[in-house]
Amino acid sequence: MTRVIEVPAHFDDRSFDQFAAGFGAWPPGEKLLVDARAAQWASPYGLIGMLTAGQAIAEAKGERPLLTVPVSDEVKRYWARVGFFRHAAELFELHGRVPKASATGPSDVLLDVTPVRAMEDVHQVVEKISETASRILHGELGLERNATMRFSMALSESCQNIVEHAGTSGWVAVQVYTFRRRLGRRVAVIAVSDAGIGFRRSLESTHAKRFGERWGDGAALEAALIQGVSRFRDPGRGQGLAGIKGFLDRWKGKISIRSGTARLAIVPAWDDDLPLADHLPFFPGAQVQITIPAQEAEAR
Amino acid sequence: MIETIRIGHLLRETALSPYRNLVTRPTGAAVRTRIEDTLSRSDCLTALLDFSDIELLDFSCAEEIVAKLLLAQATGRPRFVVLRGLRDDQHDAIEQVLTHHRLAVAAMVAGSGPVLLGWVPPDARAAFDCVCRLGRACAHDLAAELDWPEPRASAALEALTLHRLVRPDGDLRYHLLVA
Repeated sequence: MTRVIEVPAHFDDRSFDQFAAGFGAWPPGEKLLVDARAAQWASPYGLIGMLTAGQAIAEAKGERPLLTVPVSDEVKRYWARVGFFRHAAELFELHGRVPKASATGPSDVLLDVTPVRAMEDVHQVVEKISETASRILHGELGLERNATMRFSMALSESCQNIVEHAGTSGWVAVQVYTFRRRLGRRVAVIAVSDAGIGFRRSLESTHAKRFGERWGDGAALEAALIQGVSRFRDPGRGQGLAGIKGFLDRWKGKISIRSGTARLAIVPAWDDDLPLADHLPFFPGAQVQITIPAQEAEAR
Repeated sequence: MIETIRIGHLLRETALSPYRNLVTRPTGAAVRTRIEDTLSRSDCLTALLDFSDIELLDFSCAEEIVAKLLLAQATGRPRFVVLRGLRDDQHDAIEQVLTHHRLAVAAMVAGSGPVLLGWVPPDARAAFDCVCRLGRACAHDLAAELDWPEPRASAALEALTLHRLVRPDGDLRYHLLVA
């Protein structure tokens, strides 16, 4: 039997739960077919979410899943240009014609889909993004020039969390696009995902007792994001997320972290997301999305 | 005597690459080790850490380099530490990690006087500005300058001394970069 998992036509953090629900129990017992034929658009969060699923199955020694590529030539070209198919080919058996990636990515991509396996990769990611971040964040989104550095700091800390906490590798992608429905403005989005142990298991040995029966994926996210705790005993730990929150507060940004069966977000006034969503379909590891909106004209 | 340490130079030596971004904890720890090595061979009482070659300083590196260097002062041979060449975003990162630990450090800002990053009691912050303006001060000077009772001025100077933000010499407290 092959289980078919449909990729939502509009695949982002909102429709991610629909994608996660398609897997049923983890690790899936059957052969999987990830069906992206009807995909019309995918955010960086969606793209690296698919890679995370493929990675988790590979690490669980599951059968190599199939992935049918989108029918839309435009969508296929875009996914190729951001490097998705290059990495997907290592994790999935691809079905359908995949266009060759052009030498340069689209101008709204700050960082292609990039694996994060070690601290050295964090250096590379920060170096790479510094070339274009100022032009896009200052020029297009109207953020102050020094916000570019704070954006890169947020990126660096998010990627380090993979290396330090996940117990495996992960993925990052950064893109600028328009939030038509929610905001009606351009946004810069950092998406980071890993197939690792997740927040609950990472923090369990040091913090579960304090929460008692409340302990679970939601409580673990709350401990990390709201209370700034870390699994390390070093009292200086946990400041990366605190620093990211400060940056987001200043620029009316949003952070949302999904791990296991819960998602916790710090929700700015322009969004209507739930601060905490629990009892979601399980998905391995942790998925982080940081969203920085273009500044309104009068605020510039 | 002041030992000036160019952090960008140490970073390039440590990472064996042309990076100008101070990111990740292992990198920060490696740079801190190099700073400590340099200081262990120096007779200077004051270390001036120059960040002017650095593009990005993330929170992890701010913690590993600045906070842990100051925390180590409590156990090793104590030094006075002053920072130079920081940009706004780097100020913010250092301010956050030092406040978390209730530590503080003096930073030289181009075009203005020294600023204090991190946490000290409010009176100590006012006293720091005053000592920097005067170059040196005793409790009596500070009390006169700020219109405080002398015990209050004395307590504020004591707090600055404990945080190693002024150099004591008898009753006087000197701004760290005054010879």
